[in-house]
Amino acid sequence: MGTEEIPPIPPVAAAKELARGGEAAKGTPATTTGIPGRETGDRIRMAIAYTVMFLVAALFAIPFLWSVSTSFRTLADTLAGFSLLPRHWTTSGYHEAFHTFNFGRYTLNSAIIAGAITVSNLFLASLGGYAFARLKFPGREVLFMLVLGTLMIPDQLRLVPIYEMLINWIPSWFAHLGVGHLGWHHPSFVNRNGVILIQLVSASSLFLMRQYFLTIPRDLEEAAKLDGASYFKTYRKVMLPLAGPALAAVGILTFQGSWNGLFWPAILLQDSSQYTIPIGIAQFRFAYTTLWPPLMAASVLAILPILGLFIVFQRYFVAGVAASGVKG
Amino acid sequence: MAFFLLFFIFPIGYALYISRYNWQIFKGPYVGWGNYRHLYHDTIFWSHAVRNTLVYTAFVVPLQMALGLTLAVVVNQSIRFRTFFRAAFYFPSLAASAAIASIATYILASDGLFNTILHHLGYHHTNAWFTQENTALPSIVGLNAWTTSGTMMLFYLAALQAIPVDVYEAAAIDGAGAWRTFWRVTFPLLKPGHFFVLVVSIIGSLQMFDQAFLIGGASGGPNYATMTVVLYVYNQAFKSISFGYAAAVGVVLFAFIFTVTLIQRLLFGRAEVA
Repeated sequence: MGTEEIPPIPPVAAAKELARGGEAAKGTPATTTGIPGRETGDRIRMAIAYTVMFLVAALFAIPFLWSVSTSFRTLADTLAGFSLLPRHWTTSGYHEAFHTFNFGRYTLNSAIIAGAITVSNLFLASLGGYAFARLKFPGREVLFMLVLGTLMIPDQLRLVPIYEMLINWIPSWFAHLGVGHLGWHHPSFVNRNGVILIQLVSASSLFLMRQYFLTIPRDLEEAAKLDGASYFKTYRKVMLPLAGPALAAVGILTFQGSWNGLFWPAILLQDSSQYTIPIGIAQFRFAYTTLWPPLMAASVLAILPILGLFIVFQRYFVAGVAASGVKG
Repeated sequence: MAFFLLFFIFPIGYALYISRYNWQIFKGPYVGWGNYRHLYHDTIFWSHAVRNTLVYTAFVVPLQMALGLTLAVVVNQSIRFRTFFRAAFYFPSLAASAAIASIATYILASDGLFNTILHHLGYHHTNAWFTQENTALPSIVGLNAWTTSGTMMLFYLAALQAIPVDVYEAAAIDGAGAWRTFWRVTFPLLKPGHFFVLVVSIIGSLQMFDQAFLIGGASGGPNYATMTVVLYVYNQAFKSISFGYAAAVGVVLFAFIFTVTLIQRLLFGRAEVA
């Protein structure tokens, strides 16, 4: 089936944002339409408004720029009073962060955890979202409400039970399954695997995918069905290629969330060889309060990938958040 | 589905179950409502964790809403560099809390950037803001109002765009100025937006953990000044190894958040009918 047969996607607010992929926020037309004789005053007002806005934007950016500036300093430089730029540029902060304080390892761990969670969210949320959008099965609406309801369950309520399950139950289930021959004699989940396991898919990913699938016209699937394609094949060959924008939003938001994640890693990662960057930063801060250059270097490391993603995929971030806000 | 049942729905019941036991890492003797009775008399919980959480929520929620709304109105105008401004305002919400907290600690340190600026303005403040009992919590309020305002801005932006254009045209024809239009037209029409942002903001604040953990450590120092309810759950579970008790605290917090949501929904529902 050629792409030229794909009809335009119907306008459903959130999904349209994603599909259009453009300005997620078109400003409402200016209310101050030009009143004659006011031009000079308006121009001055505009100038002031822009100045104030750039100042505010600068205020938002200064902490980040300051941390970058500090990450290139020597420790002595940070103690020697104020200077805008480092007196002696050095990368020793990064060097220390990587080699002395193991942030290379932490970066890798963060990438593994965030990567695994993102991939599994993409897969499970798109499959589940497709099921909730298209498959007819008894209790579908109830189940979907149940999934959405989980968004209301605070993590701290789940803390103790989840920990208990990961430390006692799930390993014993594995033991019952008799997977010892796979080398899983005492599988532990109070570690990186546990962090990944409990975040395999999130309700908001599922919700986003379902909403997007609902906007795709049914004709396409009917055509696939006539061609004798199974549900799974339809999902894979027809729906998935159309869901690009939604997949992008889910992937990016999931990656961002799990890259920054603190709560579950703080609970489950107990061996320092598995720390993620946020946990590494937290531990570092408890141990060496004022070694600013490596700490700032580590912070820059934590922020940089997200900044990169944000610059490239800004529209997906905005549209994704807006779409998940719609449900409120 | 099984995933959601296993890791979301089931833990509620399991938490209730655990909370009735003197449970350490493994199941201990049944204590009935003992954990809850203990919690009722727990002064650290009430006069630090709960108090701090409520104070924090009371200050940070209005700040977040006001900042979010202001930024949203600004970036909703047809101005140049709109995308740039929106990105600049939104980005702090995306950066890792651990990184933000470190940067904030550095800037608010005793000889940090903030005190240096204050010094040049003629105020002499020489203490680190996060380590003093009386400034630690307000500093976290300021920090989080700043970082979350971008998210609130996006929610408000979506709400602003739901307002039909002809309403503004009508206001312009009636000769209403920008200020008056905002307060008389935009602000009341944003009611669904206000409600949504309020709920998200309150629920988020009641669950504040990251910054308290990063800045005050698991014990919520200095002297419990940054102890929050969620941090207390963590602390009880992993410092005191009393899982049963931690579960009880979690159940109480969940009940509280659930009640707040219900009340808000009822109030809002009624207001909408009226």
